[in-house]
Formats: sequence, C-alpha cells, structure tokens
Amino acid sequence: MKNSDLISALIYTGISLLAAGLFIVATLSTQYSNVDRFGGATWVFILCMIILMPVIIPAVKKR
Amino acid sequence: MDNGAKNLKTISLHISGMMCAACVAHNEEALSSLPGVTKAVVNLATGKARVEYDPDKVTLEDMKKAVSDVGYEVVLDNMQLKIGGMSCQACASNIETAVGSLPGVGKVVVNFAAGSAGIDYVPDITSLDEIRNTIHELGYDVIERVEGQEALDRERDARQKEIRRQLINLIISGTLGTIVMIGMLQPYWIFPAFIPGWLNNKVVLFFLTTPIVFGPARQFFINSWNGLRHGVTDMNLLYATGIGAAYGIAIINTFWPDAGFGGKDATFYEAAALLTAFIILGRYLEAVTRGRTSEAIRRLMKLQPRRARVIRDDREVEISAEDVQLGEIIVVRPGEALPVDGVVTEGNSSVDQSMITGESIPLEKGAGDEVIGGTINKTGAFKFRATRIGKDTALSQIIKLVEDAQTTKAPIQKIADKVAGRFILGVHILSLITFLFWFFIGFSLWFTPQSRMMLTPYSLSLVGAFGFSLLVSVTVLVISCPCALGLATPSAIMAGTGKGAEYGILFKGADAMETTARLQAIIFDKTGTLTKGEPSVTDVIALDGNDKEVLHVAAVAEKNSEHPLGTAILSGARERGIEVEDADDFEAIPGQGVSVVVGGRKLLLGNRRLMLEQNIALEKLLPEAERLEYEGKTVMFLASDGAASGLVAVADTLKKTSVQAIEELHRMGIEVIMITGDNRRTAEAIARQVGIDRVLSEVLPEDKAEEVRKLQSEGKIVAMVGDGINDAPALAQADAGIAIGSGTDVAKETGNVILVKDDLLDVVAGIQVARATLRKIKENLVWAFGYNTLAIPFGMGVLYPFVAQLVSPELAALLMATSSLSVTLNTLRMRGYIPPVKRRRQTDSVSGLESLPSA
Repeated sequence: MKNSDLISALIYTGISLLAAGLFIVATLSTQYSNVDRFGGATWVFILCMIILMPVIIPAVKKR
Repeated sequence: MDNGAKNLKTISLHISGMMCAACVAHNEEALSSLPGVTKAVVNLATGKARVEYDPDKVTLEDMKKAVSDVGYEVVLDNMQLKIGGMSCQACASNIETAVGSLPGVGKVVVNFAAGSAGIDYVPDITSLDEIRNTIHELGYDVIERVEGQEALDRERDARQKEIRRQLINLIISGTLGTIVMIGMLQPYWIFPAFIPGWLNNKVVLFFLTTPIVFGPARQFFINSWNGLRHGVTDMNLLYATGIGAAYGIAIINTFWPDAGFGGKDATFYEAAALLTAFIILGRYLEAVTRGRTSEAIRRLMKLQPRRARVIRDDREVEISAEDVQLGEIIVVRPGEALPVDGVVTEGNSSVDQSMITGESIPLEKGAGDEVIGGTINKTGAFKFRATRIGKDTALSQIIKLVEDAQTTKAPIQKIADKVAGRFILGVHILSLITFLFWFFIGFSLWFTPQSRMMLTPYSLSLVGAFGFSLLVSVTVLVISCPCALGLATPSAIMAGTGKGAEYGILFKGADAMETTARLQAIIFDKTGTLTKGEPSVTDVIALDGNDKEVLHVAAVAEKNSEHPLGTAILSGARERGIEVEDADDFEAIPGQGVSVVVGGRKLLLGNRRLMLEQNIALEKLLPEAERLEYEGKTVMFLASDGAASGLVAVADTLKKTSVQAIEELHRMGIEVIMITGDNRRTAEAIARQVGIDRVLSEVLPEDKAEEVRKLQSEGKIVAMVGDGINDAPALAQADAGIAIGSGTDVAKETGNVILVKDDLLDVVAGIQVARATLRKIKENLVWAFGYNTLAIPFGMGVLYPFVAQLVSPELAALLMATSSLSVTLNTLRMRGYIPPVKRRRQTDSVSGLESLPSA
C-alpha cells in the first residue's frame, strides 16, 4: 500500500468511525434497541465511508 | 492527427466498462491528470476517449494504466494479417518483437503454423501501413488483410457481446425474480389456492435470490469496489448499496427473525431480486439503443466494398479493395459498388451517389469525370483510375469526420456531465440525511403499524426505527440514480450527426452542431455561394464605339487571371471569335482588378475603386455603368494609358435553390446577410433578386473575417457560408463556418459544418437537423433530470405522513428503468426524422411526377 493510500484510509475510516460513534452516543439516552443502535451505526459508517473515500483519496493524492 | 507547433498529437481510445456519466468524469479526470495530456474528452455513447497529448511526455502505456487505475480498460483495435515467407517459429518471434516495439502497438501474436498475425494497436499512433512496412522490412510478405471489415465490425461485436451478456443476466434475474415475487405473494388474496406454500418458505426464497445477487448483480459490487478503491463513485455504487442492504435485511429476517428488522414477514428478497432485474433491464435497453444510434456510421462503413477488379498485366484480377494501388485501373460493372475514388478513363454510366452526397438522382459519368468510392454504378460498365485510396477516400474521410464529431462534447453536455459526476456523492449524502431524519425524528412522529410499501404485500408493522429508516435511505439511493443522464446528450448527438451525414451534411463536432442550432445570423458569400460563380459577359461598351476591341483588350488583360470574372471575359471573347494573345506584364491587384502591359500600352481593368486609386476619370462611363449595376451586373472598367476607354459588364446568375433557401431561413427567424467584393449597387441588385435585406458590399477578401467579427460584436451567433478555401478566414472567425459544395475532399475544409453538395437548401437542412438534435437533447435532459427531481422527494418519504406508504426499492428501480427507457426511445425517434425542407422537396418531386401528363 502506498503512503498516500494509507494516510487516506486512516482519515476516511477515522472520520467514519467517529460518525458511527457519535450515532451510538446519540441513541444512548433514548428508547432505541441494540439492533437500532448498532445497525444504524453500521449504516452510518458505510455511508460515511462511501461519501468520504472519493473526497479524501484525491485530496491526499493531490497534496 | 498532428497539431504541429506544440508537437501535440490526438488519439482516440476505446474504453470498456463505462456505464454512466460519472464514469465519463472519472476517465476524463484520470487521463487529464497525466503530465503531457492537454485535453481528454470521453464520450459514453461511443465508449471512446479523445486525448490530446505530448508524445514526449506521456505514452500509451501511461494512459492505459491511468484508465485501469480508475477501474476501466483501454481496448485496442485488433487487426488480423496473413503473413507469407515465415519458415520457422523464430520468424514469428522476430515479427512479434519488431511490431511489438512500434509505438501504439499492444499485444502481437504471430501464429507460424497458420501464417497469420493478430495485432492490437491504436491506428492514430501507428498506421496499418507502418505495421506492414515493418513486416516487409524483416523480409516477410503481408499477403492479405483477413476480412478487411473486421476492424470495423469489432465495435459492433463488442456491443453485441454486451447486449448478450445483459440479456443473459436479464433472463436469470427476471425469471428468478418473478418466482421470488410469486413466492412472496403466496399468502395473500387468492394466491394460496394455486401457489404452493413451500414457495413462500424464506429459506427457499433465500436460495432463489442468492444466485441473482452473486450472479447478475455481481457486476455492480465489483465495479463499485474498483471505483471506491481509487477514490471514485459511480452508479454501480448506488445499485450495490441498494441491493446489498435489501439482501442483508432479508438474510437477517430469515435466519434471525427477532433481530428487530421487521421480522419473518419482511424479508425483502423480492426487493433485491427485482431491483437487480429492473436495473439490468435498463442496462440492456441502453446497450441496444447505443447500437442503434451509431447505425448511421455503420451504414457508411458498410458502403465500402470488400473486393475490387483491377487491370494487372493486361488481365482483370479480383483483389481486396484495400490492396488497390494509386493509379491502378479499376473495372466496374452495372450494380457494383466502386471500391475507391478515381477518374473515369473509359465508358459511360450513371452512378448513384446518394449515399455520400444525399443527391437522390444518379449522375451521368463519362471519361474525365470524378467518381467516389462506395457509390453504386447503375447502368453501364466503365473503367476508372484510382486517385484516392485507403484513408484518403471521400468515404473514409466522411467516416472519420462523423466518428470524430461523435466523440466530441457539446457545451450543454459538459454541464450535464459535471452535474452527474457530483450527483452520486450528493445522493449518498442525501441518503444519510434521510436515514438520520427518519431514525431520530420521522419514525417517532409518523410511524403507524398499518404502514405498507407501495405495490408490495408487506405490512411494516414489525419494523423498527432502524429497519424503517434503512428502507427509506436505500430507496433514495436507487430512485436518485441519474443513469438516463449519461445517455441524454451523446445519444442525441450521435443520432444527429448520423442523420446529417445521410444528407451530405457533416458536422465536425458536437459543439458545431449546438452552435448551428442556436444561429441568429447567417452571412452568405455571394459569388459561388448564392450565385453559380460562373458569370458571363452581358454588355460591352466602348467610348470610341469599337466594342470588339474593348473586349479583346479586356480578355488579354485577364488571360492570366484566375478570378471568375476574368474567366468570364476570356470565355466571352473566345465565344465571339476573338483571338487572345499574351500580355507582356501582368499584376493582379487583390479585390480591385488587374494591371497589364499590352503592346507597350499600360492597361487597367477592374472596379471603380481601382480607377479611383489610379485617378482615372470615369464621368463618361458612369451613367451606363450605373444602369448596368442597378441591374445587378458587375461592371469592369477598362483604362488605357491613364484614360478610361470602355467597360465590360458581367453577370452572375443565382443558383436554382438560392431564393428558396433564403425564404426558409427568414421563416426560421434567422437574419440573412450577403457579403461581397462587388459595389453596393450590384450587390443590392443581387440581394433584391434573392430576397436578402442586409448587404455588406465592397468587402475585400481579407476583410470578410473582420465583418464577421463586427456582427459577432453585436451579440449575435453568426454563421458564414462560403467555399472552404477562399473564405477560410471568415469561416474560421464565424461561430459556425459552413463550407458549401466541398465535394469529396472533406478533410481539407476549414468550416466546422461541411456540405458535400453544392445546394443552399442543405444549409437550411443542416440548421434544421442541428435544431432537431438540440431539441432532442433538451427533451432527454428534461426526462432524465425531471424524473430525479420528481422522484427523490417521494423516495425520501414525503408522502408517508399522509398515506402511511413508502416507495419500495423495487418500485424505485422500475421508475429508474422507465426513465432510461424514455430517454432511449425519445432518441430513437430521431431515426425517422427528415428535415422539413427535404420533406417538402420530396413532396414537391412526387407531386411533380404525378402531374406529368400520361402517355
């Protein structure tokens, strides 16, 4: 794996995990089941990855 | 193609694997980012990239890698040769090494046993001749190119392969998807009576759906992963996430029904199955349409005969049409197609040139007449000498021109592509927002256990916040897909350029077509464009009464002139039996006339400006001159040794269709202007005859471009119609340069719209074709964008609070396929288009025939 690829992967995975984490935190205080909580976090993580990968990879490559 | 000064070259590359406008954007970005690539334009409909590059800085390999890095593949042209003279396997290796080292050549496989070679190459970098020469230099013979049409058919084969592949996928996903749908419906209404219960078993449905997801739908997962790895997204990603999510929920609800995703009754197998089937239906229809829109070019290609009968060693020999050499004599029999361009040397016949020029009536050809390759000999047999072969023939030039035009992009398409490229990212963001909204707000506010999905048997009563929000989120992904957008413009451009070529109207690019469609003013060069350009002498006036001497002297003065007026005077003198000797000294004064010395006398023959500049008094000739000029005749004054001695009037006649063409243009709301070097009065007389109300007279050839610029500065989109050589600067300056009557040497023309025939009605037809194409593009964009704009809010669940129903993912896919279908069908309507001016002409000629008296 090239250096830029690794840096990109760390950034988009990191942000996506953070978003999923925030999602879990947001569901803690209310009536959501674990399926809702962790299923939702997984979907948020997947969508964030999909959104961030095409943004982060070219940006890092350019730098 | 060599772009000279900058040492830039342009090549056309076939790229496989492109599915949508986003793919276009990715490939363009990948190619443009290479150092040394100055411009890269990718066309989805043709599957081609046109790359302008510096060969010193970037190689074909770099381009191939850049394309493959973003998940696509460059497909090279394949050529099959038969090679003679190979005696062992080493010969085959030698050829492979030598040819393989040529720039632009990919894979080379030489089969010693079969005496053949298969070569992958880019013709724009290394030509067939260069490859042949390389093999010749090694001491081998290239006997014959196997099936000359093979390269041309390659694209069609690839398309048919894609159509076949999608058809198989459609059959698998459609059949299994329908069974899954029937299984899902089993418990409802009257179905339990005749659908066996086991078909509703979730495990059975799992086994029916899984082959669809891992078979036909596999392409979406692979392509989207390839793209994501390189940081790009495309339509495949929308499908993959949609199908993946539906299938994932179905598995969870089958094997872990208490997980909170809606339970055993909400397995959504049919969503994954039918979603795949509908998407593939869209792909299949696209593949079929792409083939249809490029039919025009294939029809042109088919005109090229494969065999030719030539005279070699005093015998008729039948050879491959590609092996005809320059200067060879070719024999053509009635009903046969001409293999190359040439000049008739013997025999007479009528030749149908409609396929090249659009001229419907066969033309009589005799010795000395030019004939065009690809046209059909109708009646007699004749022989002709080959003057243009291979890539230089009119047919090859036209094919190249149309192909090139189809790989360019209209300005309107550039905007559409940019939007489509960003759209997918936007859709995923929208999908995330929709998910979060329904999860945290919408579900608790509006969810009722009576909730259903439109056109499905499901009740959503057991679904939780996550399952509900996920369904809406997935529907947004599927319903937003702008697949139709990728085809909207290029398919219409392909249909339009092909339609133009049918009538001998060649657009050099999509931008030329769009500009032509938007024209507001059109300038016609007078001589040779509105008029026949073959003027003849009508009046001769001598101050001393000796008209014959005035015409004689004028003819001597014009003997070396190439100007049409000079030729007319010379012909006029000869027709009257006057002998015309050579002048002692000759000087052409551009835009004014000539100055010659004859028998020691200095003669000036030219227009009023010439006489004024030389201080020649014209008073005695002016009344007559003005009368003649008012009649539209061009007056040439003659001065001998500084004194006016007479004048010669020459008149040019209007072409048959000039008046009708101008009338049509006025009807279309286009301002028509005439430009000429003639004086105002002559120009206005011609303009009156033809119905033009604005005249730019006394304009020198070099000032025509300036006049075009002046009109453009008035904010108008201006076309210039003229002949491609004399009016080249003005044609180049105009927004659309229309070169008329170029004949068959289309590649040399300056204009960006080329009319093969010398018929002004083709200017009208060209504008009508361009307008029809632009209209088609706009309609397609409305279908494509309009669908998205309307469908997205429904996909996001705006109706749910009122009707407690959600748009199901499979319904979204069906709507999306409908959108693609509407765009493709709308484009296909172009196939039957006939420009109104041509339709009228056809009607006129039919009614003309009908009105003939019966014998």
